[in-house]
Amino acid sequence: MAAAPELLPYKQIREDLFRPLSGVSRRYVLATCLAFIVGAAGLAAWVYQLRRGMGVTGLQRPVFWGFYIVDFVFWIGISHAGTLISAILRLTDAAWRKPVTRAAEAITVFALMIGAMFPVIHLGRAWLFYWLLPYPNSRLLWPNFRSPLLWDLTAIVTYLTGSVIYLYLPLIPDMAQLAEHNTPWRRKLYRALALGWTGSDREWHALERAMKLMACIILAVAISVHTVVAWDFAMSIAPMWHSTIFGPYFVTGAIFSGIAALLVALTALRKVLHLESYLKWHHFNNLAKLLLLMSLLWLYFTLAENLTVWYGNEPREMAVFGARTRAQYAPYFWTMVALNFVIPFVLLGIRRLRTIATATIAAVCVLAGMWLERFVIVVPTLANPRLAAASRGYAPTWVEIAITAATFAAMAMLYMIFSKLFPIIAVWEFKPHPEEDED
Amino acid sequence: MEHRWGMAIDLDRCTGCEACVVACHAENNLPVSSPEQAGKGRTDHWIRIDRYYEGEFPDVKVKYMPVLCQHCDDAPCEPVCPVYATYHNGEGLNVQVYNRCVGTFYCANNCPYTVRYFNWFAPEWPEPLHLQHNPDVSVRVAGVMEKCTFCIHRIKRSKQDAARDGRALADGDVQPACVQSCPAEAMVFGDLNDPQSKVSRAAGSGRATRLLEELGTKPKVFYLQKVK
Amino acid sequence: MDRRGFFKILSATSAGALTTACGTKSDRLIPLLVPEHEIVPGEEQWHPAVCTECGAGCGALVRIMEGVRTVERNGEALRQRIAAVKKIEGNPLDPVSGGRLCARGQAAVQSLYHPDRLRGPMKRTGDRGRAQFTPVSWEEAIDAASQKIAKVRAADPGRIVFLTSSGAGTRSLAIERFVKALGAPAPVVCSLTDFPVERKAAEMVFGWKGLPVYDLAHAHHALGVGADFLGGWASPVYYGRQFGNFRQGRLEVRGHLVQAESRLSITAAAADHWLPLRPGSEPQFLAAAGRILLDSRLARNGGQLPAAVLERFQSADVPALVAFCGLDEKRVREYVRELGESDAPVVLAGASIVQSNSLDAIVASHYLNLMLGNVGKRGGVLPPAAAAVPATGNHRAAEALARAEVVLIDGANPAYTLPRSSGVFDALTRAETVIGFGRFLDDSGAWSDLLLPDHDPLESEIALVPAVSEQPAVTMARPFVEPLYATRAVEKTLADLARKMELEYQAVTAKDIVQPVLPDGVTLEDAARQGGLWLESKTEARATVVGQTLELNAAAFEGDAAEYPMTFQPYLSLQFHDGSGAHLPWMQELPDPASSAIWGLPVEIDPKTAASLRIANGDIVRVQSPHGSIDAPAYVHPGAIPGVVSMAIGDGHAHYGRYASGRGANPLSILAPVWEKSTGALVLGGTRVRLSRAGGPRDWIQFSTVDRQERGFDHR
Ligand SMILES: Nc1nc2c(c(=O)[nH]1)N[C@H]1C(S)=C(S)[C@@H](COP(=O)(O)OP(=O)(O)OC[C@H]3O[C@@H](n4cnc5c(=O)[nH]c(N)nc54)[C@H](O)[C@@H]3O)O[C@H]1N2
Ligand SMILES: Nc1nc2c(c(=O)[nH]1)N[C@H]1C(S)=C(S)[C@@H](COP(=O)(O)OP(=O)(O)OC[C@H]3O[C@@H](n4cnc5c(=O)[nH]c(N)nc54)[C@H](O)[C@@H]3O)O[C@H]1N2
Ligand code: SF4
Ligand code: SF4
Ligand code: SF4
Ligand code: SF4
Ligand code: SF4
Repeated sequence: MAAAPELLPYKQIREDLFRPLSGVSRRYVLATCLAFIVGAAGLAAWVYQLRRGMGVTGLQRPVFWGFYIVDFVFWIGISHAGTLISAILRLTDAAWRKPVTRAAEAITVFALMIGAMFPVIHLGRAWLFYWLLPYPNSRLLWPNFRSPLLWDLTAIVTYLTGSVIYLYLPLIPDMAQLAEHNTPWRRKLYRALALGWTGSDREWHALERAMKLMACIILAVAISVHTVVAWDFAMSIAPMWHSTIFGPYFVTGAIFSGIAALLVALTALRKVLHLESYLKWHHFNNLAKLLLLMSLLWLYFTLAENLTVWYGNEPREMAVFGARTRAQYAPYFWTMVALNFVIPFVLLGIRRLRTIATATIAAVCVLAGMWLERFVIVVPTLANPRLAAASRGYAPTWVEIAITAATFAAMAMLYMIFSKLFPIIAVWEFKPHPEEDED
Repeated sequence: MEHRWGMAIDLDRCTGCEACVVACHAENNLPVSSPEQAGKGRTDHWIRIDRYYEGEFPDVKVKYMPVLCQHCDDAPCEPVCPVYATYHNGEGLNVQVYNRCVGTFYCANNCPYTVRYFNWFAPEWPEPLHLQHNPDVSVRVAGVMEKCTFCIHRIKRSKQDAARDGRALADGDVQPACVQSCPAEAMVFGDLNDPQSKVSRAAGSGRATRLLEELGTKPKVFYLQKVK
Repeated sequence: MDRRGFFKILSATSAGALTTACGTKSDRLIPLLVPEHEIVPGEEQWHPAVCTECGAGCGALVRIMEGVRTVERNGEALRQRIAAVKKIEGNPLDPVSGGRLCARGQAAVQSLYHPDRLRGPMKRTGDRGRAQFTPVSWEEAIDAASQKIAKVRAADPGRIVFLTSSGAGTRSLAIERFVKALGAPAPVVCSLTDFPVERKAAEMVFGWKGLPVYDLAHAHHALGVGADFLGGWASPVYYGRQFGNFRQGRLEVRGHLVQAESRLSITAAAADHWLPLRPGSEPQFLAAAGRILLDSRLARNGGQLPAAVLERFQSADVPALVAFCGLDEKRVREYVRELGESDAPVVLAGASIVQSNSLDAIVASHYLNLMLGNVGKRGGVLPPAAAAVPATGNHRAAEALARAEVVLIDGANPAYTLPRSSGVFDALTRAETVIGFGRFLDDSGAWSDLLLPDHDPLESEIALVPAVSEQPAVTMARPFVEPLYATRAVEKTLADLARKMELEYQAVTAKDIVQPVLPDGVTLEDAARQGGLWLESKTEARATVVGQTLELNAAAFEGDAAEYPMTFQPYLSLQFHDGSGAHLPWMQELPDPASSAIWGLPVEIDPKTAASLRIANGDIVRVQSPHGSIDAPAYVHPGAIPGVVSMAIGDGHAHYGRYASGRGANPLSILAPVWEKSTGALVLGGTRVRLSRAGGPRDWIQFSTVDRQERGFDHR
């Protein structure tokens, strides 16, 4: 096995990690274009929806929330990759985190940007989304802060701001290095972003303190954000939404899917950017173990949630429970269980089977499984309202599917562009300490 | 507050004839959908007749139950609206401000009675069907939520009439379209603050129940149960 | 508001009402045409009107406010402010509607503003039935029509057939006069909603002319037999109101209703007990009931029964008859006894679904009422008021068509309401001339050579005698809005035709109907302003029995029971009645009370039969009779009688505006050409059918997809 990256000469590390920034392969261009096309299609679908009305979706009374809200919860969940991993590892100062953190933090920012679009996309009058913002207006109208949607908005805006700062801080030293010798426009860009970083001890210590502080803050915010998302449902009085454990349940699911997303991203980076000597087995192994842990935690919550309902046997809750586990939504439910628990448990629980490949497969399963989980939470409840006569089903239309697909494309595209502009692994972290740094 | 409007529906009188449904369509400019949209559950019925079969042949019974906005005093639809487009007015009505609604659907999800209806597309009335539109009621645009208003415009009109004649509003002066039309006179509308009003007395009757009362929504529609 | 208060206001404000704009609606009852300049934006006016959507003839009030329409003037579209009808409500003065209207009546405004109304006279260009027409001028149209009619008249006036709707009033009088002037046979009522069998029975037993009035509001205990009086029967609003008071209108007593009917109609649904009768077993059921009353000494007035009739009841074999009806004897005895023991019992029988033996049933019911001593009494069955104009008697439309050379159609739609097997299409093809006066291009319009469209009733002068009324009454309306299009009131069209043909003909106005019955002190204007004339009913009519016999024939069914195992019941639906309401979008989107279906009507099948044929909700079933077949979605009806297939009438119009054309199937089309002997009424329930699954769900839209509150998880 090759030496740990810490042991490689810093020169080589710089070369390896800055190399991907210069030059674009044909495959890269192709991939980006493909992602762009899918993304553009989604955008077109949205424009169509804006022009014709929400009727172009599969939504109908009483299922007023569908794919868009599912996507919303899903992407906000994914955003928990970065913060949680990097923040926790930073605070615990785990050595193996170094090659992982930035990749994670980038996921957070992009997932948030995407997730935050959905509350707007699913508005009946999206062009008036700003009425949800507390801005001074001639009618002295204020938004209603009793509405969980407002808490959502506040939390997400805070989280996005925090995550951007949190991603940006550790970038500064690398920006400074990149600004040294580079193509003219890049030099301008990096110099601007470096904020005149010189690398003095004062700066180093300030940065360290800032990063520690942000780590603490972002942790708190991350947890609160997904709790609030959960409350969009839990604060209602709809059967099987009105549940006290939704907060922690959603946070768990978020971290679960976040880690899965990170695993998939790392595998991709490792392959595409030839980072084999940086992203090593033990990185994947550690993340795989984390994923397994979260899978068990998720199972525990899912059991707690459904078992209590089943045992309580309250008719209207049972209508939803039945729809989920026995009737029209059962296939989704049981697939979810397989993807989120059975498969990861087998692939990651049995040591012999645990490899980078299987960990990635498990992660992909979990991503799909967690998307289904959100679907299974959102739709069956609405489809089975308290007055049975009003019950109806839901099937998405091409518009919703196109927009959903587009968000995955957008994620890929943003990530690829990011990895071309910035080193996806924090280079300076491998830098020997200044005083040892002669020659 | 001066008035607290409420309704009582006597299920022992109600025949399920649906006159009230059409009355509401005519009064409140409810758009007619198309078979395609109707198939997707996209019709507009501010008042609907829920129908349930009970028992097996030959002892089978049908239960018809008019369901409209219950104008809950603790309306779950209200706090969740991020822009105050649906709120409680001074007379206990659950009011819907179309111009203000941005279409988050949240209120509809949180209405236990599923009586909120959405404008999925801009409504259409092939000429000259639009001539029937009631000018007292605005025609809603695409993207906003709507529901039974307890015919708030009729309440306003009755108040104006009373004011003009210099008299106080009497019990029965206000008649929502559905109430007005009901041949069996199954529906009564009036002021729950007035203990003598027909509706107050109905609400006090032994047969009076409220829909999903256990949720604590405090509905202002009272159902007088059928005598078995 | 109560009627006295209403009169006060009327006397206080008459023409002055025109100017004062704000106020309660009754202040502004205005009988005159509203000139455009009278329309002040935001101000409402109320006018008396007559609902003609069914024969009940409810008195109505319409709300008029400003409306803006676009009109084509030399090529360019102009916006024109007009007086527009906003809403139709009941006229509180009218004892029939009592200020209420049914769903269908309120939707009449959509008939006025229907986008597919005929704009003016039209002349056929394609073959008959292909519905190809081109506009012509009224002069041209009248010329053509009068020539064609005159030609046949010269040869044989007996071959001129005028098909009309139910209802007696200005329209029926105008048509009577016209055919008389032509020397043609009396007009033929081609309608499913005239209820001639009920009329005949009342005449046979009590010598009454018209439909008897059941004073449900004052009855304590009612037994309904075969009459869906809350849904598809003679006067839905009237009986709806009566029912409300029957149930909860009195402090001391709550009316108790037992409904014996061959489907779970909304009346049966509202009843305290439903007795699911085998189709056509109504007379046998009533015979058994009579015997039970006699046996249990509850026939308090049995002495009045004619000997033959009494003998018939006494010889009734209760167990056998009840078994024949498919009922449980214990229950029947219990219910009948309760009826007999009641202080104010009434038996309300009718033929919502006409059977070959319906006359026997209704006759028997009258004798039952006689037995119970409630005839002519409060809470019993009351004689119909003397009508201002006699109702048209002849109902043998198919017969008349068979020999017709000239077919004139107003308010009727033979191509829809007559079974194919009646040869209606051959007749319409063979006839020398077919002329339609309808406001829409409907199934029959498509077979016409000329369309001479009538005004909408809300644009017309109307005087109508309500079908069911205990007091002498005429509902009346003067036009209050300008006609939208170049249409012409049939009364005027007939006068024009008569003039062209130089006939002795005197045009008909509301005056002809109202004047003769005006009490002194009341003017035509008063009547116009009130929306009608309602005179005090005479003192209690005593029951004079003219009937002598009671027949108890078994119902005849067409089709071999082995080959066609099911009985088929097309029925008058709440929303569409005889199908004439199908063009109204509000009605199309009104959930069918039984199945909750919208935009299309299903075939109602009992769960057992459905299971045996592997038919699920929404599957397309083929209903096959000896005379044809239709395909329609199935509704597995938890309350359907095993072996009995029902279907609401309303769908299956070849032509009837954009909302009805080509939608669903017409259950009447496959019926056998069987007519009730004494009246010529079409026997709706006399055809056997066979069912088969013809495909998966199609055109099946349910407003509510759930039938039961305590539900399994099987719904979609
Ligand atoms: N063609 C035509 N022009 C007219 C008139 C007419 O009748 N026809 N009427 C004239 C008269 S009388 C008047 S008063 C003016 C009225 O003209 P405007 O003041 O424009 O009145 P609206 O168009 O009703 O409302 C303006 C905008 O406010 C938005 N709005 C609603 N709620 C809020 C909110 O909470 N915050 C913000 N920021 N916006 C909100 C509405 O969606 C709308 O887009 O128009 C005048 N001009
Ligand atoms: N949904 C909705 N409702 C609104 C508003 C909104 O933005 N949205 N805006 C509100 C506001 S700000 C206003 S000011 C009102 C305006 O509402 P309205 O006061 O109804 O104003 P308009 O509808 O423009 O005009 C009313 C009528 O006046 C007629 N008219 C024109 N000139 C004359 C005249 O000289 N004499 C008479 N007798 N009639 C005349 C016109 O033909 C028109 O039919 O609407 C209010 N209602
Ligand atoms: S109109 Fe009256 S009787 Fe008819 S359904 Fe409505 S409430 Fe019931
Ligand atoms: S019934 Fe529904 S919409 Fe009406 S007030 Fe209650 S919660 Fe709100
Ligand atoms: S749909 Fe409209 S009314 Fe309902 S919560 Fe959203 S903004 Fe408020
Ligand atoms: S009160 Fe008015 S708005 Fe509400 S259902 Fe009745 S008619 Fe419709
Ligand atoms: S019962 Fe007949 S006449 Fe009366 S309102 Fe209904 S349709 Fe019109």
